[in-house]
Amino acid sequence: MRIIYKAVKTLLKIENLRVKADGKEILKGVNLQIKKGEVLALLGSNGSGKSCLAQVISGNPKYKVTRGRIFFEGRKITGLPPEKRAKLGLALAWQSPPAVKGVKLSQLLKKISQRRPEFPESGELMEREINLDFSGGEKKISELLQILSLNPKLVIFDEIDSGLDIKRAEKVAGIIKKELVDKGVSILLITHWGQILSHLRPDWTQVLLDGRIICKERDFKKVLRTIKKYGYEKCKKCKPR
Amino acid sequence: MVTKNVKNVNPVRGQRVLTKMQRKQTSNGAHFWQVDHKLKNISEVPGNVILPSPQAWQKFKWLRKYFGEKPKEGYFIWVKRQVDFPLIACINIASPKISQDLTNLLVIEKGIKVKANVVCSAVKNNLCGTHRAKGKLLLKSGSSLEYNHFHQWGEKDFVSPDYEFILEKNSRLVYAYKNLFPPQNLLLKTTLQSNENSSSNQSFVINGLNSRIGISDKVNLSGFNSQAIVRLRLVGRKNSQIEAASQIKATVLSGGHLDCQGLLVDRTAEISLTPKLICQDKNARLTHEASIGKISEEELTYLRMRGLSEKEAIDLIVTGFLEK
Repeated sequence: MRIIYKAVKTLLKIENLRVKADGKEILKGVNLQIKKGEVLALLGSNGSGKSCLAQVISGNPKYKVTRGRIFFEGRKITGLPPEKRAKLGLALAWQSPPAVKGVKLSQLLKKISQRRPEFPESGELMEREINLDFSGGEKKISELLQILSLNPKLVIFDEIDSGLDIKRAEKVAGIIKKELVDKGVSILLITHWGQILSHLRPDWTQVLLDGRIICKERDFKKVLRTIKKYGYEKCKKCKPR
Repeated sequence: MVTKNVKNVNPVRGQRVLTKMQRKQTSNGAHFWQVDHKLKNISEVPGNVILPSPQAWQKFKWLRKYFGEKPKEGYFIWVKRQVDFPLIACINIASPKISQDLTNLLVIEKGIKVKANVVCSAVKNNLCGTHRAKGKLLLKSGSSLEYNHFHQWGEKDFVSPDYEFILEKNSRLVYAYKNLFPPQNLLLKTTLQSNENSSSNQSFVINGLNSRIGISDKVNLSGFNSQAIVRLRLVGRKNSQIEAASQIKATVLSGGHLDCQGLLVDRTAEISLTPKLICQDKNARLTHEASIGKISEEELTYLRMRGLSEKEAIDLIVTGFLEK
């Protein structure tokens, strides 16, 4: 099903990206490419720079790009504010989204789109303040609702499987597959667990370590097996293809 | 009597809280409606009394101790029989350089539960009007009042409401003051006197913009087992100076809580909060929380990543803050 959407066109291209936050260099020359309809998994240990990369692609002004460029559908977006990137079709599901006190989720969804995606769990969440006292699972559902409302072309999921039990992780993966992957939306799936990959079966799996991509592999199972057996250190010996 | 919803939604100047149509509907539906110094309408509410204050002064001698001196203008509402709709009073300034000097009195009889919506506003932005209002609200034993007080002014107006609440035993007050379009100068003063087992919940929601705002609210817990909550939500936008002094004083076993929060949106804004608790009974429990902060960058970025512009994101956060 998904294959028919796969076009050769590159959706996101990152060239030699170097990024600093609070004076410290976090990304040290990242190159990455995602084609239309592709699912790319990005693995890496804690503090390797995965979340930083997600935030930089989405335009968080906290991070300073010191070198390199980001292209989206062939257009340079490196200096573009986050709202313009969102309008172009770039969406980020946050790992730990902040609470917005006094603003109901339904209010935000009404503001950002006419689209009203619904899941069985979404009803009660709608009338609650965004992310305030949400459980781990509720935060993920809230993020998914917002993402789907935006009708994106590329979604970055930052640790979407963290804080979820196996059943919930499966459920979330099912929604991502049905509502996004099967409809040709490109996905950058950031995880350090890898559990969700068997549900979403990425086209490429890459490993980010110390601010650099050090591995690029088609077979995600092979990467997961290696990491499980030898840890991320073994990945350093792998040459990106 | 058809009542209209006068709830406002957006604190951004330029988008009026009440549209022209809403204002017209509200005024037409008002039980007491005064424009400038002229009485436009008084509706009859069976079993209850609604009069201009000077007329009430003449008619009911017992009121004189509450009015103090003979009033020039304003309303007197005496709720003697239960009504199942909100009583609405509207006082507008519609002409340039009008100076209103109002004395309002609201009396709720024993055991009566009532809701009142009071809207005071300038119909245009640059009328340079003055609105002085002295008000007294008397809640007799076992009565209950939910009082929504909406203000909306022009950029060059001067406004000074001074309200006194007297809560007899077992009475209950919910008072919500909302001013999202402040005048150039606003001096808001309230005092509350509580008696045995009475409870009050007061909230003041003010959006400062090109204005100097002074707030003084005092609660005197002099009734055994009385309870009071005071909640302030203040937003400092461009060129606004807000100074708020809130006080709860307990002289007997009672409980009170002050919750004062300020949000600075612009660097030209200033907010000063002075919460004060005075306790004269060892069994009374008074608490307070006060904070002033700016908008969280993380929240702002989060909303911008959902496609909202910086301004839209700030407005949404401010609206949430004021509604909270």
